[in-house]
Amino acid sequence: MFEMNGEVDVKMKKKKKIKKKDRLEGMKKEMDIVSVIHKTRRRESWREYGLTSSKAAEVLERDGPNELLPPKGTPEYVKFARQLAGGLQCLMWVAAVICFIAFGIEFSRGTLGCFDDLYLAITLITVVVVTGCFGYYQEFKSTNIIASFKNLVPQQALVIRDGQKNQINAMDLVVGDLVEIKGGDRVPADIRIIFAQGCKVDNSSLTGESEPQSKTPECTHENPLETKNIAFFSTTCLEGVATGTVINTGDRTIIGRIASLASGVGNEKTPIAIEIEHFVDIIAGLAIFFGFTFFVVAMFIGYAFLEAMIFFMAIVVAYVPEGLLATVTVCLSLTAKRLARKNCVVKNLEAVETLGSTSVICSDKTGTLTQNRMTVAHLWFDNVIHAADTTEDQSGQSFDQSSETWRSLARVAGLCNRAIFKPNQESLPIPRRIVVGDASETALLKFTELAIGNMMEYRERFKKVVEVPFNSTNKNTLMLSVHELEDPMDLRYLLVMKGAPERILERCSTILIKGQEMPLEEQWREAFQTAYMDLGSLGERVLGFCHIYLNENEFPRGYKFDSDEMNFTTSGLCFAGLISMIDPPRATVPDAVMKCRTAGIRVVMVTGDHPITARAIAANVGIITEGSETVEDIATRKRIPVEQVNRRDARACVISGGQLKDMSSEELDEALRSHPEMVFARTSPQPPSSPPLIIVESCQRLGSIVAVTGDGVNDSPALKKADIGIAMGIAGSDAAKNAADMILLDDNFASIVTGVEQGRLIFDNLKKSIAYTLTKNIPELTPYLIYITVSVPLPLGCITILMIELATDIFPSVSLAYEKAESDIMHLKPRNPRKDRLVNESLAAYSYFQIGAIQSFAGFTDYFTAMAQEGWYPLLCVGLRSHWENVHLQDLQDSYGQEWTYAQRLYQQYTCYTVFFISIEICQIADVLIRKTRRLSIFQQGFFRNKVLVSAIVFQLLLGNLLCYCPGMPNIFNFMPIRGQWWFVPIPYGILIFVYDEIRKLGVRRHPGSWWDQELYY
Amino acid sequence: MAKDAEKSTWKDFIWNSRTREFCGRTGSSWGLILLFYLVFYIFLAGMFCLTMYVMLQTLDDYKPTWQDRLGTPGMMIRPRGQAMEISYNTTNTETWDMYIKTLDNFLSPYNNSLQAEKNEECTPDQYFIQADSGDVKNNPKRSCQFNRTFLEKCSGLDDHTYGYQAGKPCIIIKLNRVIGMLPGKDGQAPFVTCGAKKEDSDKIGEVEYYPENGTFNLMYYPYYGKKAQVNYSQPLVAIKFLNITLNEDINIECRIISNNIPPGSVRDKFAGKVSFKLRINTKG
Repeated sequence: MFEMNGEVDVKMKKKKKIKKKDRLEGMKKEMDIVSVIHKTRRRESWREYGLTSSKAAEVLERDGPNELLPPKGTPEYVKFARQLAGGLQCLMWVAAVICFIAFGIEFSRGTLGCFDDLYLAITLITVVVVTGCFGYYQEFKSTNIIASFKNLVPQQALVIRDGQKNQINAMDLVVGDLVEIKGGDRVPADIRIIFAQGCKVDNSSLTGESEPQSKTPECTHENPLETKNIAFFSTTCLEGVATGTVINTGDRTIIGRIASLASGVGNEKTPIAIEIEHFVDIIAGLAIFFGFTFFVVAMFIGYAFLEAMIFFMAIVVAYVPEGLLATVTVCLSLTAKRLARKNCVVKNLEAVETLGSTSVICSDKTGTLTQNRMTVAHLWFDNVIHAADTTEDQSGQSFDQSSETWRSLARVAGLCNRAIFKPNQESLPIPRRIVVGDASETALLKFTELAIGNMMEYRERFKKVVEVPFNSTNKNTLMLSVHELEDPMDLRYLLVMKGAPERILERCSTILIKGQEMPLEEQWREAFQTAYMDLGSLGERVLGFCHIYLNENEFPRGYKFDSDEMNFTTSGLCFAGLISMIDPPRATVPDAVMKCRTAGIRVVMVTGDHPITARAIAANVGIITEGSETVEDIATRKRIPVEQVNRRDARACVISGGQLKDMSSEELDEALRSHPEMVFARTSPQPPSSPPLIIVESCQRLGSIVAVTGDGVNDSPALKKADIGIAMGIAGSDAAKNAADMILLDDNFASIVTGVEQGRLIFDNLKKSIAYTLTKNIPELTPYLIYITVSVPLPLGCITILMIELATDIFPSVSLAYEKAESDIMHLKPRNPRKDRLVNESLAAYSYFQIGAIQSFAGFTDYFTAMAQEGWYPLLCVGLRSHWENVHLQDLQDSYGQEWTYAQRLYQQYTCYTVFFISIEICQIADVLIRKTRRLSIFQQGFFRNKVLVSAIVFQLLLGNLLCYCPGMPNIFNFMPIRGQWWFVPIPYGILIFVYDEIRKLGVRRHPGSWWDQELYY
Repeated sequence: MAKDAEKSTWKDFIWNSRTREFCGRTGSSWGLILLFYLVFYIFLAGMFCLTMYVMLQTLDDYKPTWQDRLGTPGMMIRPRGQAMEISYNTTNTETWDMYIKTLDNFLSPYNNSLQAEKNEECTPDQYFIQADSGDVKNNPKRSCQFNRTFLEKCSGLDDHTYGYQAGKPCIIIKLNRVIGMLPGKDGQAPFVTCGAKKEDSDKIGEVEYYPENGTFNLMYYPYYGKKAQVNYSQPLVAIKFLNITLNEDINIECRIISNNIPPGSVRDKFAGKVSFKLRINTKG
């Protein structure tokens, strides 16, 4: 065994050399090694003695503790540094450095106002650092969620060392340790079973299969995941006891390897990340382009090098939307918060939007589409199929329970049942109570509890004498028990039996019809066959029930029943009926699937179940719609061989795991393309060829944005590969949650639809926010361009620009995230990630060249007004710059012949900044109002419906007033208390923006597809 | 391969010969959009002109709408020197010649003959108010004479070097023009007083002011703006350093003393005061 580990180590080293792409292949090879391991010789002596403590310590030293190490993350400081080094951030660093240099030079010259440069540099750095911290915190918080999940279950293990049983921390387990597990324990490492008694494990955390697997010492399969003698780390032992030796610990366990495989699968960039990157690149490029152009122009005009550098810096500051990344982050986290309230926890913020652009959802069946609990769905007695209530809250219709046969059937179902409720759950509704027992017995117990009442007490009354349980090892597919009757006077025994219907029927000679025992004639046999087929075709698991009153004389009180010898009647029984069970779909799912369909999203079901069950559920929830046929359906209908059916005629398709394995990727692509309704059934859970992963890759090849739901560890590669991985909060394993971008706390498929809706809404709203944010860059930029080219006194300062970007305009741009959808977004097709960009040409053109231009004119009007009313006529301003900024000129004449000192002119310049600022603010209020809608008239959308937006406008005005009129502002942020009249100068332009946009929207609505629509709709 | 494809898409973007598109638009598409923007900007420019026109209509030709920044008038000296630093060498004519020229130029409009020709003699020690009667403007407004001879020894008439050669330089101080400013109440005229900064206080020596006491006579106020009062002669005060310490930097500050001019902003070094540095060298 140790040699084997050595080999594994060599393999691991080799693996590091293998490129990430080849890791899947590497994984396959490693699996082979595991299958070799389980065949290695046993060492009988360990069975009693185990390892010695010293040996264990030695191995522990060598292998490290038995725990899953989180995937090796990038160091924290690197993460933080990355947040500080984005495209825009780098530009801001450059701007800050230029500011520092300018400050240094000007300070040494003793220029008045040189500290502005220092403040600006500090502000710029603060902005970069604060946004960085913000982003870092988001990232940190999302990893923190996982940490909290991980710490939920502290593990203990019962280990035999030095011949003694010890309870130790599972972390200290080493390869070769002898461990004991019993029902309720989590398997503390990968172990090979050497002794088992009725041991069943729940592999759902690993493979997603909810069926318990029995574990025995025999090696039954080549594949380690299929063989019965290996139990896996992190799975749960449901019942029985087992002893085994540890064959792998920590990251070398199957689960550990899958996790490390998952971390190796490249995480796809989210569509929104691609959008934002694309857009930031353009902005940064344009900023450098503008800055450099005007640097050259300034040098050419004859400005000093330092001045030209300051211009460059100022243009960068003016053009870069500093607040944008923060706005986007805040908008996304608002939606994430909203989703969290609806049970979707978003780990990766950008995933919020991804869900909106999703075009295919690969959904796991168990637990997501279905309730993940077997429930009685149908009963057959009195030759009629009755439907039981399968809803989660028992709100559905129940069947007629007056028949005598029903009572007998219920009695059999209730008595021939080993499942029991865990104690102290009386306050819980019956369906929610926790039961000890297998799935079908649980279903029957809950069903009878609901139908008859307190089953525990009921069973007390019919005292159990003997029972022969299901036993898969001796192929006994029946279960029977013998009970005393509740009536103490009646001394007969009652034998009740359940099992596979055909086997039950074999043992029966009579049948209960309307309470009367009738001979089992051919007519009833045929009726039974029809009912059995019908229920089977619904994908339900059918059980037959029968009973017999044992003859009082033959079996008197005190008769010794022997479960091994079976010394009692087991034939000639009386057939009571059939009960069929299914894991029913969640009530909300059919509706949600329907919504997905109208929203243009394909739902593909992936399940480990039998194709018939899978199909039935798919049809039930609407994944396969009514009237859709599979190739096989058409073949049966037309009575022709399957090969002759035109595959394109079939809308639906059920592909089993075996077929999938044999398909080439082209065939799979073709199948996905030609059949809109797809179900993948009986998919083998083996990870290297994990079906979801293949399906995801195929869908992505076809250009879809794929969402994948999953809970098992084996799903984690697919979760990671998917554009958005959705893990289940309740059933999901840590590895799945770690790999996923989103976690559904209630495991409910319907929550995904909510997510889709929110994702689409946030895409629309982000568009609006960005359009709003971008608009003001033009009125921020033009003052510099005019300043450089026409040499007017500077209309707008850098610090003022930063105040707009980072203070007054943040709240309104965020408030757009609260805007309601303009149309029914769930009736539109998912956006095409290649065509429907977040920031497209017309959005930029409309914001920059139209609304931005209007705002610039508003700013200049107000600027010239403020200048003229204080004594500086517009024509005098032109070319005034060199005199205006001459520090030694203390008696510059204005248009009226008055003389101004430098400081007076500087404060006048600050007044201009403030006036320009106010103009932008007024126009931005109009802007935020028009951005509420892209197509509808604002009167249709409602002015005050978005309360947050209204308060944002109020906030913006208050903040503007504070900046203007708070004492001390002139020398801190270069804001001056301005004349009230100047607030009103830009209002005509605000109205113009509003009216113009209403005209635009009217044109867009009236003439869809016209030139106007194409050019002006963003 | 991929690179080639990329290249060709770039080229295609700039000029796609198949669809005859330049930068993603055909000629007619470009024409339409440019026409749209032309119309749009003409409209905007029109609106801008209109608002500017309306704004300009609101302005008074004779008095600015607001004088928010001019509460405390600035003060300035002549000659200004390099960055408020006057330093020269008595023995080297070239070092002070430019100061003389500046002063000559500056004072030439104050020549008595010119003043007599353009301005009139007013009653001293009281404001020379020329009110408009309602809408009828009382324009042009007359100005009072400020004769160069008022500056006596600093007028440059007797001593063409304004005392620079002798190491007893004259500095002329003026108060910035502000329309409508009345710089003293109760008939008390504002005056200039100069002193050295702390450590230099014993080096400044004796200072003489012209006109007497360094006052700005009230009759020169108020100022009615360059349009209404074309020939306004700004009153001046000259100071002459009689025995200033030579060969040393001396920091001098002059301030206006008035009973109704508020002290200027701390940050404005030239509001109601003026500081400069004087250095007179005697050694070659």
